[in-house]
Parts: sequence; structure tokens; C-alpha cells
Amino acid sequence: MIQMFAQSFVNGVNLGALYGLAAVGLSLAFGVMKMMNVAHGEFIMLGSYIAYWLFMLFDIDPFLGIPIVAFVLFLIGAVLYKLLFSGMVTFHEELKLKNSLLVAFGLFLVLPEVAKLLWTGDERMLTPSYSGSSFGLFGVRFGYVPTIGLLVSLAVITLLQLFLNKTYFGKSARATADNWKAAKMMGVNDARTYIITFAIGAALAGIAGVLVGLSGALTPGMGIGWTIKALIVVVLAGMGSIGGAFIAGLILGVAEAVSAIFMGPYAITVGLILFLLILMFRPQGLFARG
Amino acid sequence: MLEVMDINVFHGDIQALWDVSMTLQDGEIVTLIGANGAGKSTIAETIAGFIIPASGSVLFDGVRIDDEQVHKVVDMGICLVPEDKGIFPSMNVLENLEMGAFTAKARKARDETIRTIYELFPILKIRSKQLAGTLSGGEQQMLAIGRGIMSKAKLLILDEPSLGLAPQITEEIFEVVYQIHKTGVSILLVEQNVHIALGLANRAYIIENGRVTKHGEARALLDDEHVMDAYLGTGM
Repeated sequence: MIQMFAQSFVNGVNLGALYGLAAVGLSLAFGVMKMMNVAHGEFIMLGSYIAYWLFMLFDIDPFLGIPIVAFVLFLIGAVLYKLLFSGMVTFHEELKLKNSLLVAFGLFLVLPEVAKLLWTGDERMLTPSYSGSSFGLFGVRFGYVPTIGLLVSLAVITLLQLFLNKTYFGKSARATADNWKAAKMMGVNDARTYIITFAIGAALAGIAGVLVGLSGALTPGMGIGWTIKALIVVVLAGMGSIGGAFIAGLILGVAEAVSAIFMGPYAITVGLILFLLILMFRPQGLFARG
Repeated sequence: MLEVMDINVFHGDIQALWDVSMTLQDGEIVTLIGANGAGKSTIAETIAGFIIPASGSVLFDGVRIDDEQVHKVVDMGICLVPEDKGIFPSMNVLENLEMGAFTAKARKARDETIRTIYELFPILKIRSKQLAGTLSGGEQQMLAIGRGIMSKAKLLILDEPSLGLAPQITEEIFEVVYQIHKTGVSILLVEQNVHIALGLANRAYIIENGRVTKHGEARALLDDEHVMDAYLGTGM
């Protein structure tokens, strides 16, 4: 029994790291720009497919291809932001949120169709030679892919935290999230901060996409499920709490995996129940300050 | 160094400023005084680049800045310390100060300027690791002014630094404003506390309903009957 719990816990941590990574990009863009990109899952989907392409066409290992995927998604994010979102920055906060939701819904409709054109609707698999193998430790099985994925997630989150806390650009992004007008008064070029932040959010989705692609089948419609997971995690953590988003992802992952022992396939509802409970009793989220 | 010429500014359909002109020479303290809603903060925000005037021009060191973006205006050496203090609540005091030194020029002098600010406001040194949102109103105002100093601006625009503060803290803050001025920084002081403002400034502009109704030497205005009546309440 203990062993089953331990195994579920390990699986939950692996899954949760993925949830966390899927959510931080959304949380970052929302915190800094107050825009809700509900096409975040579509960026994850694109990340998966690009990793698939790199693997199939150029024989690039998915983990080693992560920087390329991140860079491509960074560019896609920057272009889409410039074309579709940049006109909204001067809007009043509520109008900006509503408009960004509408535009992102449009992307949510368009991007899967683009994916169908490029990769067809057939399921694709991203399976390097080592996928499926695992090693045992204290009677618990650790899959190579999820374990490396966990390490990648931790490394990415650590780098992101360092970037946000130690660099001038990162500080200016946090300052803009806190008080955009005052950030401008300090000389922050807000237009540049916004486009780079949005692009970083897309790049983070791309990285998450690689790990997601390694954990299951790729379909053009896979994005929405990840958008919902990311939204649950963001609400759980508190809107715009970036470090909190990763921890909230871990909580959700572990909660789902451990409850699967008792609830079987219904464990998926645990996330939604958590989501409702948080909205009812702690709407500012678990890690929101003030 | 600063020349505002005949600016007309609208908030939506409502005209907020009417043909406002004013100047500020290098090394001066100039104060804008007037009642709530007279348009003082609108003038400050127009100079800082947040509002683009419908007509008229703003020149800084001979360069037109009225249609420049805010961050370019900051680069040129103008820093606005806003009425609402504009601190970053979820960043600590030190990070707030570091954000003040965002321009390349200010960044070079950063550590030295922080030391100066800690001397001017010792409480900020004690609070340096504390989140700015947890500071008292007076401490937040000190932080806002300290952050303004960090910018190494040639012109510091202080919008109502005494707003909502206890008299003792107001005094402390104006003492620092005077110290900053002595280091060669020009100051545009927007104030409702007319007595202090006129006592500190070289020249003053009286703003009423979006217009400049009077201007001149600060000391002369202190003796002006109209000003006394309207703002010092001594005319009864």
C-alpha cells in the first residue's frame, strides 16, 4: 500500500511539474500584461509538433531540441503579439482582458487547423529509444522520460526565477506587473517589455510542449486540455504569481495521481473540484500576496 | 531648461488645460499651486510624456518632448514622482530603488546613489528588504522620492509629496527636497501646501481651472493679497 502511494506520489510530481511548467508562461503573461491568452495550450501543441518534426526530419533528440523549440515559439509568440495583441495595451484593464480573451479564442480556433494542414489529424508519437524504460529505486519505478522532464522543468523554473529577480529586464517586467504606469516613469519601455514577456510565455509553452509530447499522443486538438489545466493552476496559485504557479502545478499533479488510487478515472475531476473550492473560499489564490 | 508653451490638453471631450505656459530655468525650484482639480497634475503628466497636448509644445533643453514616449523623456533627464507615489508594492525597498536607476546613465551610479539615499532617509536602509507595499504612507513617500533621485534626473517633478502625511514627516521630506536641489537638480514642485511650497521655491505659478492665473517670484506671491485670500485663508 505504502509502495502504491509512493509510486502515485512520484507520478504525481512528474505530472505536476508538467502542469506547473504549462502554467508559468500563462501566469507570466497575465501578470505583466493583464491579458489572458487562452490559446496558451495551442502554443504547447505547436511545441510538441515542432519537437516531433525535429525528431522525425532531423533526428534531433527531443530533450536536446528544447532550445530550438523554445526559440521558434519565442518568435511565433513575438509575431502573434505584434500582429494581434499589441494594439490593446492602451486599453482600460477590463477592456484589455476581454479583448485579449476574444483574440486568443480566435487563435484557439485557427491554430489547430494550421496543425491539421501541417501534420494531419492523425495521432503522432514522439518516442525516442529510451521512452518507456525506467529504473527502480526503493521499490518505486522512475521512468527516464518523466524523470528527465522533471529535471528540465526544475531547471527552467529556476532560470526563470533568476531571470525575473536578478536581471534588469526581469525586474522591469515585475515592476510593470506591479504598477505599469510607475514602471514607465522609471524609463521602462513598456512596448518592448510586453512583446518580450509574451514571447517568453510562448517559449515556456513550447518547452512544456516538448515534455507533453513525450508523455502522450500528439493531436491538433490537444491544446485546450492543457489550457484548462494551466488555468486551474493559475487560479490555484493566484493570478500572476509565477513561482506559485509551479508549486500549484505540483499540488494539482500529486492530488490527481494520489486520488486516482481511490477514484480511478474520476481523478480528473479533482482538479476541477479544487478549482471551484479555491474560487469559493480563497479567490485570490494560495500564493497571492496581500 | 524647461519651456511649456501654450499647451491645451483634453481629458476625453473635456478641456483640462487652456493655453498653459511656464518656464523653469536650470537650478530653479518652481512650484505649481492651485486647488484640487485645477490641472496641476495634468501639467506634470504632460511634461513627463503621459499626456500628449492637443496643441502647444514642451521643450526640454531646447528639444521638443511633447510627442515623445515616456521612456525617452526619462532618458533625457526628467523624472516624475507621482501623486499616488507609484511604488512597486510586491518588490522590496531595495528593488524599488534599483528600478529608479533604470536608465543607462543612472545604472552606472546606482550603488553610490543608493548610499546617498540611505543617508537622506535612514529608515529606508532599515526597511531595505521589506516589501514596499507594507511601508507606512510617509515611508512610501520617502521611497518614491528616493527612487526619483535614483534616476539621476536633471529635472525632478514632485507631484504633491506632502499629500496625506503628518506635518513632521512633511518637514523631513521637504528638507530632503532642499538637499537634492542643492546638489544641482532642478525641481518642479506641485503642491497644495502653499506656505511650504512658496517658502522653498524660487518662482511659482498659480493654476485655476486649467489656466495660469498668476505667476512670479515665490516671495512676492507670499505677500500677494489674492494668493493669501485664496490659499492661505488669512484674508478674513
